[in-house]
Amino acid sequence: MRKLQMQKDHKLLFSTVFIPVHAGDAAVGKSSLSHIFYSGGSLFQKNYNMTAGVELLMKCVNIPETNDTVELYILDSAGKETLAEGCEKMWGEPSLVCLVFDLTNEQSFVNCSGWMERVRTHCQGLRVSGVLVGNKSDLSARREVQASVAKEWAQSQGLEYHETSAKEMENCDAPFLSVARAFYSLYNEHLETVRNLSPG
Amino acid sequence: MSDSSFNSLGVKVVFASSCDENHPPENIMDGNTKTFWTSTGMFPQEFVIRFPEPTRVAAVTVESYNGTKTVVTINSTHCPGSVMKFERTERHLQLNTLSLNGSSAVHLRFVIASGHDHFVSVHRVTVKT
Ligand SMILES: Nc1nc2c(ncn2[C@@H]2O[C@H](COP(=O)(O)OP(=O)(O)OP(=O)(O)O)[C@@H](O)[C@H]2O)c(=O)[nH]1
Ligand SMILES: [Mg+2]
Repeated sequence: MRKLQMQKDHKLLFSTVFIPVHAGDAAVGKSSLSHIFYSGGSLFQKNYNMTAGVELLMKCVNIPETNDTVELYILDSAGKETLAEGCEKMWGEPSLVCLVFDLTNEQSFVNCSGWMERVRTHCQGLRVSGVLVGNKSDLSARREVQASVAKEWAQSQGLEYHETSAKEMENCDAPFLSVARAFYSLYNEHLETVRNLSPG
Repeated sequence: MSDSSFNSLGVKVVFASSCDENHPPENIMDGNTKTFWTSTGMFPQEFVIRFPEPTRVAAVTVESYNGTKTVVTINSTHCPGSVMKFERTERHLQLNTLSLNGSSAVHLRFVIASGHDHFVSVHRVTVKT
């Protein structure tokens, strides 16, 4: 009910497709994060269910201090190498990306560059923006990737860095809100350019 | 032969795949390049225009920005459609004309397959009858 009401005075402006891309081995927590964001924090699956293809989740995000709503389509893709290729076909030309790695698994962070390359190939030269997410921050004793290192790499790729714990439901909305805001600013940049065009 | 904007022929945009209410699809056929319709999401994007009655169309002109490739289909979606290739432009509109050789049309469907950037805008469509 509350959600509906919120959207009443918000106009539905944009739609985008947004892909949590996984780095390294499966099980970094992409599906856990997407589901928590989608359900508004109601469920965390302790048992691991490997994503075999692409799961599509849609959620509307209100942009703070505006009357605008961004419709986010989240393509939760399989991380397992043998399944990933099939998923890529579903990506199209993504406007934004959400790269997720496991803070307790350094290899999954290292593999992020490879995933970024794949995304770039799909974007055909378009600028890629989005977020890098270090998940499983609750397992602090097993942390293998330092925040400063991850942040630096994220910046070099034009991504914003977030740390989350799907298990503790900590900070899980932040990466998605950040993506919605990034999309919103891309769109406004586009409007600005288009308003200043001269005839052909 | 006459060159007229869709509006004066009574042509309407009956479908568009995106809608920002500040830049609605009606802007495509208002004859003004200052107003525009813009995509708000991923490609492909499309819009469909309808003539009030079957009309022989000599050519159609699209003024747009950021588009790369657009497929124009007449009436049914069964035929493959004609491809318009748009060159990239900076700071000015793309102007492209497709000859339709007097084909009779009720609907024209424009599918913008891809863009030079994340978003594409269409400023004016004109038909030659
Ligand atoms: N401790 C902890 N475990 C987590 C967290 N997020 C996810 N998990 C667990 O990690 C496992 C994998 O989570 P998924 O969300 O299925 O991982 P995935 O990245 O979608 O995996 P694929 O679909 O195979 O690519 C599950 O057992 C989750 O319960 C977290 O923040 N903390
Ligand atoms: Mg999964």
